[in-house]
Amino acid sequence: MAEEIQRKMQKELEQLSGIQKEYRKAVAQKQQLDSQLNENKAVKEELVLLKKDAEVYKLIGPVLVKQDLEEATQNVTKRMEYISKEIKRADDHIFALENKQEALQENLNKLKNDLNKLKLKA
Amino acid sequence: MATVSSAPAPGMHQIDLSKLNLQQLAQLKQQLDQEMTVFQDSLQTLKIAQGKFMESGECVEKMTPDCKGKSILVPLTGSMYIPGEISDTDHVLIDIGTGYYAQKDIEGAKDYFQRKVTFVTEQMDKIKMLGIEKSKIHKAICMMIEMKMQAQMQAAKQAAS
Repeated sequence: MAEEIQRKMQKELEQLSGIQKEYRKAVAQKQQLDSQLNENKAVKEELVLLKKDAEVYKLIGPVLVKQDLEEATQNVTKRMEYISKEIKRADDHIFALENKQEALQENLNKLKNDLNKLKLKA
Repeated sequence: MATVSSAPAPGMHQIDLSKLNLQQLAQLKQQLDQEMTVFQDSLQTLKIAQGKFMESGECVEKMTPDCKGKSILVPLTGSMYIPGEISDTDHVLIDIGTGYYAQKDIEGAKDYFQRKVTFVTEQMDKIKMLGIEKSKIHKAICMMIEMKMQAQMQAAKQAAS
C-alpha cells in the first residue's frame, strides 16, 4: 500500500515539475509580449506626434525603406491589437496552469498525509 | 521599454507577518530577494537606455548649420570607414523603435531625446520607490524571522529545564 502511494506521489511530482516548467515559460513569454506592446505603444505615440508630411522609414534587413506615415500608423495599430490578443491568450494559459498547479499540490499533500498515516499505523 | 505601474496588482492582500511560520517567512524572503534582483537589473538597463538617449541628444546639439559641407568619416561596417560630407544639417533620422525611423528637424530631435530622457528617468524613479518599499518589507520579514527563532530557542530551553 505504502509503495503504491509512493509511486503515485512520484508520478504527481513529475507532473508538477513539468507544469512548473511550462508555467515559467509562459510567464517569460508574457513578459516579452508586454515589452513588445510597450515598445509599439511608444512608437505609435511618436508617429502620432509627427507632422503629416514627415518622412518615415522602415528598417527591412539592412535597408531603410520609405513608408507612408498613414500606413506605418495603421501597421503599428494592427500589431498592437495582435499583441494584445496574444497577451490575453497568454494570461488565460497562465491562469489555467496556476489552477493545475494548485490541484496537483493539493493532491500531493493528500497523498503525503495518507503515507504518514500508513507509517503511523505500521 | 516597459512602463511601470505603482498600483498594487489585483489579488494582492495584506498578510500579517506574525501569523506566518518560519518556513513561510523564509519563502517570502526568498521571493522578495528575487524581486529585488529584478528591480536592480531593470534599473541597470534603464540607466543604459538613459545614457544612450542623453548621448544622442548631445550629438544633435552639435549639429549646427556650420557643419554643412564638413567632411565626416562614415562607418560602412564596424571596422571600415569611407569619407563623406554632411549635406543636410537640418534633418536627422531617428530610430523610434520596432524598426521604424522618422525624419525630424534638429529642434524636433532635441525635443524627442529630451522627452525620452524624462520618460526613462520617471520610470527609474518609480522602480527606485518600489525597491525601497520592497526592502522595507524585506527588513520586516528578517526581523520577524529573528524574533520567531528566538522564541523557538527560548521555548526549547524552557522545555529542557
